[in-house]
Amino acid sequence: MKQVIVHPERCVGCMQCMLACAASHSKTGTLISAISESPRPRPRIHVGAGLYEEGFPNRCRHCDPAPCQMACLPGAIYRQTITNTVLINPDICINCASCAMACPYGVIRYHADPLAPAAKTIAVKCDNCIARQHRGQIPACVEVCKTGALTFEEMDAAMKKKTDQVARSICAEAVPADNAPGFSLLNTVKRAEKEINLLR
Amino acid sequence: MNYVILGNGIAGVTAAETIRQLDDPGQITLISDETFSPYCRPMISNLLEGAVDLSRLPVRSADFYEKNRITPILGTRAVSLDTDSQRVTTKDGQTHSYDRLLVATGADPRPIDAQGLDLDGVFFMRNIENVQQMINTLADVKHALVLGGGLVGFKAAYSLLRRNIAVTMLIGSGYPLSMQVDETAGQIIQQVLEKNGLTVRTGVFVTAFEGKKRLRTAHLSDGTRFDCDMCVIGKGVFPAHGFVPEKSIDTDAGIMVDDNMQTSVPGIYAAGDVAEHIDIARQQPWVNAIWPEAVAQGRVAGFNMAGYPVAYRGSLSRNVIRIFDTDLMTAGRVSPRDTDEACRFFSASDPARGTYRKLVFKEQILVGFVMINCIEQGGVLTSLIQGRTPVDIAEHNLLDPGFNVSRLMGRLTR
Ligand SMILES: Cc1cc2nc3c(=O)[nH]c(=O)nc-3n(C[C@H](O)[C@H](O)[C@H](O)COP(=O)(O)OP(=O)(O)OC[C@H]3O[C@@H](n4cnc5c(N)ncnc54)[C@H](O)[C@@H]3O)c2cc1C
Ligand code: SF4
Ligand code: SF4
Repeated sequence: MKQVIVHPERCVGCMQCMLACAASHSKTGTLISAISESPRPRPRIHVGAGLYEEGFPNRCRHCDPAPCQMACLPGAIYRQTITNTVLINPDICINCASCAMACPYGVIRYHADPLAPAAKTIAVKCDNCIARQHRGQIPACVEVCKTGALTFEEMDAAMKKKTDQVARSICAEAVPADNAPGFSLLNTVKRAEKEINLLR
Repeated sequence: MNYVILGNGIAGVTAAETIRQLDDPGQITLISDETFSPYCRPMISNLLEGAVDLSRLPVRSADFYEKNRITPILGTRAVSLDTDSQRVTTKDGQTHSYDRLLVATGADPRPIDAQGLDLDGVFFMRNIENVQQMINTLADVKHALVLGGGLVGFKAAYSLLRRNIAVTMLIGSGYPLSMQVDETAGQIIQQVLEKNGLTVRTGVFVTAFEGKKRLRTAHLSDGTRFDCDMCVIGKGVFPAHGFVPEKSIDTDAGIMVDDNMQTSVPGIYAAGDVAEHIDIARQQPWVNAIWPEAVAQGRVAGFNMAGYPVAYRGSLSRNVIRIFDTDLMTAGRVSPRDTDEACRFFSASDPARGTYRKLVFKEQILVGFVMINCIEQGGVLTSLIQGRTPVDIAEHNLLDPGFNVSRLMGRLTR
């Protein structure tokens, strides 16, 4: 399964990914027409400045298990196993911001969204462009990034390990220690089972 | 294996699901007082407000019990527990034996010492039934009294204000949410509520309620009377473990549990509002009665009960509240009652953006924060507290509106 991988050291801070993200999550789908839409489409990837003013593309890591999912009061957050994407159901979200308190990366925003019920403020974050992926396209942020700071590839074990290491040094919750031998394996098996059922 | 779970709140439900995931043939019985299918308890305040209807409260599908092959025994309470013969007795006289037991009975509202508590119009706010009764009386309510400026009192007051009911809040301490936040944040929040019609009175309490059948007047400790037709008592909660034999099971405020959520009696576990583990920010035993910890504890208890040893890393008090156009987020030690001279404080406010932020450090470790508005990065701070990661960048970076996770990462990976 391909995933978006962030290489912050290659980011030049041009924010093209933010524009592409907002456009692809608009009603009309293109940047030119998206600008005049109401509510205004907003990006789900956020380029911030690091300690030395370097660019840093920040987006949802689709953690497993996901702290935001465990914290969500009405149970609006769920995982789509086929694409390994953590999603928020806009109909169920009550805009309580419990997920803001749980997300160790600070990637969730709260606003009205073209893809949500009209005039309802909800929690919004990266959805891995599942609609685009469904059409055979790659996520919009990756497509537009010309420096290779965002790539869409098979997450190999070494890469995963590196990401987990960084994540763990910041937050024990983002990547829980594997202190139950057999459990991760078991979950992987369960997930595979679910995927097979979903694909059938 | 024969598992018995007491309480169908989120802790009990999460534990049951986890056990089922790991132990397919195991027998699971879930005994609970409430008959409604598993629901989101915090959302009862949204129900009172009228923002959602009852159909929005369930957090599991209607076939939850069947799907997970759980035998529900609802509408009855556990009244005694015999740890030698491994049996629970319920109010209806039945006994239930177990190999592994989970106590996930949550908490009960703390009553107050006043006459007339049984009058119509005097309420606690803990479950759907309480709120349904409130809603039934709302039509002729003109003035409501809310006792307590804690989280529940606060939510009750907000919900009633949203229904255009005049609300007076009586609080014992100087400002609302005094257990959770510092005075500056408490006062900002109080002003927001006052601007929207709330009256706050500090340092007075109710000594008696009066009325024929329905509440009409409250007598206050300063000798005055207060006319009201509704009162919500929100003076905190206490863990519901009255039926647990304290001879064999260690209890403090809550039921004491080890890192595996096991009590002092092997095979008996506790999770959620009823359990007491270590507070990460305070580094001492503490009951943190909040939803995300009830979920996490239920999960860890479920793993261990099914035979997979998993450790719980401790709990952290935290809350987020959105009232009118103001957001408040707080975690760990911020209230003056939780801090001391050894703590280092950093704060910043920006009146133009309507923000206020305060961080509390003990040496290099972040142990608490409160933020008003612009709360999106709160989770990063929360995980810094939870990870007890020493912060080696200048504190103003964390107060800065442009703060984001990369400022920490840059340091760690460079
Ligand atoms: C109005 C309100 C607002 C809240 N808002 C928030 C919020 O915004 N964020 C947050 O994190 N938390 C909030 N909370 C707290 C949160 O609801 C609790 O932490 C959480 O529900 C605890 O879950 P639990 O499973 O431990 O216990 P509970 O949900 O209390 O479930 C325990 C169940 O056990 C049953 N029971 C009790 N005794 C017995 C017995 N002897 N035998 C059998 N059954 C028994 C009870 O009837 C109950 O159904 C709020 C609570 C209230 C009341
Ligand atoms: S916790 Fe944050 S990064 Fe992780 S899945 Fe949730 S939103 Fe994404
Ligand atoms: S804001 Fe929405 S998605 Fe986030 S925790 Fe609340 S209900 Fe869940």
